[in-house]
Amino acid sequence: MTAAEALSSVPAPADALASPRAAPAAPLLSLRGLGKRFGSLQALADVDLDIAAGEIHCLLGENGAGKSTLCNMVFGVYQPEVGEMLLAGRAHRPASPAQALASGIAMVHQHFSLVADMTVVENLMLGQSRGVLRQQECASRVRSLAEHYGLVLDPWARIQDLSVGERQRVEIVKCLMREPRLLVLDEPTAVLLPAEIDGLLEVCQRVAARGCSVVLVTHKLAEIRKVAHRVTVLRGGRVVAASSDPAAEIERLVRAMIGRSLEGLDATAGALIGEVARSDDGAAAATPVRRQLGDETLQCDGLTVRDAHGVTRLDRFTLVVNRGEIVGVAGVEGNGQSELAAVLSGMRPASEGRFFVGGVDMTAATPKQLTAAGVAVVPEDRHAVGCISGMSLAENLVLDRLDRFRRFGLLDRKALRSEALEVMARFDVRAAGPGVAFGGLSGGNQQKAVLGRELGIRGLAFLLAAQPTRGLDVGAVEAVYGHIRAACARGVGVLLVSSELDELLSVAHRIVVLYRGRVMGECRAEPQARDRIGALMAGHTAQAA
Amino acid sequence: MSTGAAAIASAAPLPAGRRGPPALLISALAVLFAIGCGMALVLAMGVRIGDAVAAFAEGAWGSPYAIAASINRALALGLVGLGFVLAQRANLTNVGGEGQIALGGIAATAVSLYGGAASLPAPWSFVLPMLAAAVAGGAWGGIAGVLKVKAGTNEVISTLLLSFIAVWMVYGAVQSEALLRQPMTTTASLPESSEIPDATKLPPLSADADTPLHVGLPIALALAAVVAVVLGKTVFGVRLRAIGLNPVAARRAGMRIGPAIVWVLFLAGALGGLAGAFMLQGDQGSLKARFSSGYGFDGLVVGLLARGSVPGVVASAVLFGFLRSGGINMELAAKVPSALVLVIQGLIILTLAGAAFWIDRRKEPAR
Amino acid sequence: MSDEMLAVFIGSTLRLAMPLLIAATGELVSEKAGVLNMSVEGMMLTGAFAGAIGSWATGNAMLGLAIGLVAVIPVALLQAFLSVTLRANQIVTGIGINILVLGATTTAYRAILGRHSRTPIPGLDRWSPPGLGDIPIYGEAIFRQTWLLYAALVVIAIVAWVLRHTAIGLAVRAAGTEPRAVDKSGLSVTRVRYGAVLFTGFMSALAGCFLSIGDIHTFTDGMTNGAGYLALAAVIFGNWRIGRTVLASLFFGAATALQFQLPATGVNVPTALLIMLPYLMALIAVGGLVGRQTAPPYLTQAYVR
Repeated sequence: MTAAEALSSVPAPADALASPRAAPAAPLLSLRGLGKRFGSLQALADVDLDIAAGEIHCLLGENGAGKSTLCNMVFGVYQPEVGEMLLAGRAHRPASPAQALASGIAMVHQHFSLVADMTVVENLMLGQSRGVLRQQECASRVRSLAEHYGLVLDPWARIQDLSVGERQRVEIVKCLMREPRLLVLDEPTAVLLPAEIDGLLEVCQRVAARGCSVVLVTHKLAEIRKVAHRVTVLRGGRVVAASSDPAAEIERLVRAMIGRSLEGLDATAGALIGEVARSDDGAAAATPVRRQLGDETLQCDGLTVRDAHGVTRLDRFTLVVNRGEIVGVAGVEGNGQSELAAVLSGMRPASEGRFFVGGVDMTAATPKQLTAAGVAVVPEDRHAVGCISGMSLAENLVLDRLDRFRRFGLLDRKALRSEALEVMARFDVRAAGPGVAFGGLSGGNQQKAVLGRELGIRGLAFLLAAQPTRGLDVGAVEAVYGHIRAACARGVGVLLVSSELDELLSVAHRIVVLYRGRVMGECRAEPQARDRIGALMAGHTAQAA
Repeated sequence: MSTGAAAIASAAPLPAGRRGPPALLISALAVLFAIGCGMALVLAMGVRIGDAVAAFAEGAWGSPYAIAASINRALALGLVGLGFVLAQRANLTNVGGEGQIALGGIAATAVSLYGGAASLPAPWSFVLPMLAAAVAGGAWGGIAGVLKVKAGTNEVISTLLLSFIAVWMVYGAVQSEALLRQPMTTTASLPESSEIPDATKLPPLSADADTPLHVGLPIALALAAVVAVVLGKTVFGVRLRAIGLNPVAARRAGMRIGPAIVWVLFLAGALGGLAGAFMLQGDQGSLKARFSSGYGFDGLVVGLLARGSVPGVVASAVLFGFLRSGGINMELAAKVPSALVLVIQGLIILTLAGAAFWIDRRKEPAR
Repeated sequence: MSDEMLAVFIGSTLRLAMPLLIAATGELVSEKAGVLNMSVEGMMLTGAFAGAIGSWATGNAMLGLAIGLVAVIPVALLQAFLSVTLRANQIVTGIGINILVLGATTTAYRAILGRHSRTPIPGLDRWSPPGLGDIPIYGEAIFRQTWLLYAALVVIAIVAWVLRHTAIGLAVRAAGTEPRAVDKSGLSVTRVRYGAVLFTGFMSALAGCFLSIGDIHTFTDGMTNGAGYLALAAVIFGNWRIGRTVLASLFFGAATALQFQLPATGVNVPTALLIMLPYLMALIAVGGLVGRQTAPPYLTQAYVR
């Protein structure tokens, strides 16, 4: 039994993949000419789409293509400006999720809406019951549903005690309890371990087999190969391709998705969509570094972080990063990465352990001291920690070095502006001017700006980049990695935290794996290591074949 | 509300430079609307609008004396409003103006009567009590700052509770001869302090007794200018704004949040305390039981109405100064309860708070 | 302290704590749903005023009570509209309403009753549980209270049960902890919050009526005198749990009762200090000196889909 099978605990269904069928005469859901604007952004235009009953329909597209917006409109979170939707032949215009639910459409979002301090049962009864709560009844219903579809779930567990994969199962059960006709899953595998992904895909197949259509939003080709009956590709808010035999037409679909062919595509960007570059090309991107003693820029020694409840979030983290090296930290989000980033940027004290930058003990340092020591951090949630949306682009670019712009006790706005323009040019941050509100920039430009600020730290020795390409389109991803590689070539040590394994494999020199806060193992970043890393990410220390 | 709870969604001022005619227009409309409602109430009470308005006008600007008195009132209101706006920049809502005034009054009285200020040469004879008042008010605000930093206590609740406590402290102070009460020569002696020596009173700007404007006016205007410069043109001002918008990111950028919060609330409290000094040394001359008499809450409304701008504070303070004077006379002459002014104030606050929905619409993210 | 005095002290504590208790329980429900009503003071005053005027006008205290409860509806709706629909700053709107109500009730009272600010009005009857009221010394002082007190205790117990064991209670608790979950489950966060604020309004008005027609049998300008803010403090002190909030309200009631009792025992403490005591205690509570605070995470945060 392979590790994957042991973990998923879902017996493989009799016929894993139903043979591709032609679209039936009457589709369950029909979208015609759908369009939606947000301010000046045309999120969707002219979208035509058909979803048959009982099929698994994948929506393929890179970040920002409009997939989530489309789903949210079907689910009633947004309303279209133009076009129409037909559900089983009748007009479908839900003004709210409540109406969509009533029509038989259920959705699992990327960000769960679960009440953390309540139990699974309480969460499931929310909005579903009236009068006095009959929790025992609900619990047994949960158990039988879970068995039916092959999910494992403890009805009395508190959400805050569940892992991300388990919480997703709660969300799915919440949907299935309403016996929907259509189940929409928005990028569900983004938060799962490689092995859990298979389990989820099997659940999708069981659901479809029982007659409920599944819309699976993804940008990963592997998933399409495994379960999709039909695929629709979105790019820039429009439908650019569709296929009823996706497994055979992958190349065409990918080309439609990214707007150009796979050849010549930066290995990293290609990795994003699950196309791990063919072994030789991929390895070329990762030049081995001469390792010399004394070349260390970051040394972590037994860093441990315990949260307010006493739970250990980071467990004796020990690592060395050398100058000019990119070390990848692989792992599904929530396994200690944020705590690591918080400690290394001085935002949170370590409960135990120490870390050194350039040989100097920086364990108890403040963010200001760390910046002075040459530590740059691009945080995973830039809006929470990295930038201030309400301030201007220029102000954000100099947030940590305002003192340099003091003249006669007052703020020197001219110098500030010219510095900002310089950074904007160097990092290709596109905006109407340095004075625009930071929040008005696109995600890609915001990330480039934050990166530009961080890479501009004087005496830069070490960069921690956490999920730097999340939510960015292919172009921005290439730009970001270009800058990171350039910094690396200049002698900066880089710690790259990402849950996108394929990205790490193509960028990093070596990879360590974090699972429940512990370093499970380390290996060179090469495509052959993929399976081993995947197993490590799931907590397996034993060597899998 | 602990640190666990996210920051209060405040009717925060727009980023510098984004405030335009619409906001000013909204404020003006809110005032007009409130006044309109007030007039309707007057009618409902059977009083003739003409009488009420005449009495109001008489009290507000009917004579040079009235105008000067209105302006003097505006000074205290403006200082409290300045403190409010300063704290608001860092997303802190200081509603303790009433208590900070009270504490300032206590300190100024104590120093004037028993602190030897009278024997100092001018200007120290009247500046020393002012400084004492500022420090006392500042300390009161600072307590709220410390509580916020150490325990995550919401400063609205803490400054409010401190306010109640301080108001009762004034009451207690003038009840006992051991504290500030004037010697009880007869049974009819009211609970209040002795009158402060002339040397400690704020010198008038002109010898004309009909226009009792005092040095408080230039001082207050100077302070307003200072606050405006600090907020708009200094690194400290940018930092305050950063802390107000996103304290976590500000901390990551190397700013020290804790000291900044305590400092800002201290400064806001100090301005409130100074307002108390102005009221004591400029107008009232002795500390009475109901010393602060609502100026703190009026100042709060002034701060809110200003929507984050210092010129807005000046304008609102003047408006409310005249409102108060007019209201008092309306009660005396036209028998309209001065509580009507409270109605108008309440309506202004509510209209502005609700209007923020439309003003701040353009800040809302697309998704 | 003699037995009689102790009995009177306990009885006074209950009497003085009751308005706080009632208002605090109402406010607790709103805060659990994510709305902070600084306007409890104003809603109490509305109830006190309307109840008093209603009682005086109709000559019937019960009708006055009913009028008081009805009169608070527009105030509560205004608070809900501003906080939930217009998403205005909840603290600012609360204070605004308090000022407005203070001005309106004072003006209206003067207009209706002129200078006779202490006109006696028909009040609610007293009652005591059978048997308990006859205990020598203690019985009369402690148990003979306005019947509204006992009714309120029942209401509070019901509220506690509803929050834990019914679908509505679940929705209220979820609305303050994770409003998105409520929205995505098909319920309306807006409806839940409006309902919560209305409930707070009713409870606050009830507390106000307790003051004017239950206790003192008259109305005076601004007679709530900060009790609304104390109720808010009681919720914080109680860490958003009903049991502890009840205890906190009793504490504050006792502090106020001391104000009247201590002088009689010969202890010479300045009145000002005693009046300040509840606020001081509340300050100590919010200063976290009585343990960690776990507020509903989305308290004061308006929900945007």
